[in-house]
Amino acid sequence: MITDTAAAVLFYLLGAAAIGLALAVVNSRRLLRAAIYLMAVLLASAGLYVMLRAYFLAGIQVLVYVGGIVVLIVFAVMLTRSADLLADKPSRLRQALGGVASIGFLVLTAAVFLTSAFPVGVGGPAPPSDTVAIGRRLLDAGPGGFVLPFEIVSLLLLAAVLGGIVVSRKTPPPDQPFTTGGDLPGEADTTRPLQQRPPHAERGAP
Amino acid sequence: MTDLEALLTPGLKHWLLLGAVLFSIGLYGLLTRRNAVGILMAVEVMLNAAALNFVIFNHYGEPALVDGQVMAIFIIAVAAAEVVVGMAIFVALFRHRATIDVNRMDTMKD
Repeated sequence: MITDTAAAVLFYLLGAAAIGLALAVVNSRRLLRAAIYLMAVLLASAGLYVMLRAYFLAGIQVLVYVGGIVVLIVFAVMLTRSADLLADKPSRLRQALGGVASIGFLVLTAAVFLTSAFPVGVGGPAPPSDTVAIGRRLLDAGPGGFVLPFEIVSLLLLAAVLGGIVVSRKTPPPDQPFTTGGDLPGEADTTRPLQQRPPHAERGAP
Repeated sequence: MTDLEALLTPGLKHWLLLGAVLFSIGLYGLLTRRNAVGILMAVEVMLNAAALNFVIFNHYGEPALVDGQVMAIFIIAVAAAEVVVGMAIFVALFRHRATIDVNRMDTMKD
C-alpha cells in the first residue's frame, strides 16, 4: 500500500513536471532555454519509463536523447542565430488557432480513451532482464522478430549521417554536383578543374 | 479504498491521458512556432509522447514480449536521424538565406 501511494505520487510529480516543462518548450521565447526545457522533459520521460519498468529504455533515452539529440539541437540553435527570430513570438491569431487545434485533438483523444474499454490493463509478468529480452527480440529472425527493421534502421542512420554531411558541407568535392555553395565568393571554384575556373581564382592557384 | 482514491490511482487511462496531453502540447508548438528549430523541438516532444504510449501499452499489455520497448527504441533512432538531417538543412538554408523563419521558406530555389 505504501509503495502504491509512492508510485501514485511519483506518477503525478513526474507527469506534472513533464507537462509543465513541455509547455515551457513550446512557449519559451528564447530557443536556447527551450532546448534546456526539452532536455528536462526528456529526463522526466526517462523517469516515467523507469516507473513502467523499462529500465534499459530509460538508459537509452538519457544517452541518445538527452546526451545526443538535445546537444545537436543546441548546436542548431547557435548556428542559426537570426536577429529577426531572437524573440519568437507568435501572433494572437496563430496562438488561438494552434490552441483550438491542439485542445480539440486532446479532447477528442481523451474522449476516445475514456469511453473505450481496453482489453489489456492486466499486465503479465515482466521479463527477468529487459535488456536481454530486447536484445533477443531485436536479433530474432523468426516470426515476430525485429531483425529486418533493425537492419533498416542501421541503413537509415547511415543515410542520415551521409546526408547531413553532404547537405551542410561548405565546399563541393571535385566532380560532385550536390552542394549548397561556399561561404565566400569564389570559394567553391578552387575545387573545379583549372580550365573551368574564372580568372580571379586562378591567380591564387600554384 | 474510497472512490476518490480509486479515481486517482494511476492506471492505464491515466498514463494514456498523460501521453495525449504531451502530444497535444507538441502539436501546439508545431502550429505556433515560426522558427524551424523550434518546430523541430515541438516534433521531438510529440515523438517522445508517441514512444511513451508504446511503452505504456507494453507495460499494461504483455510485458514479457518487449514489443513496445523495441518500437520506442526505433522511434528514438528515427528521431536522431531526423534531427541530424533537419539541422543540416537548417544550417545550409541559414547560410543561403540568413533566416530560418518558416513563413519565408516558400521557394525551393534561390
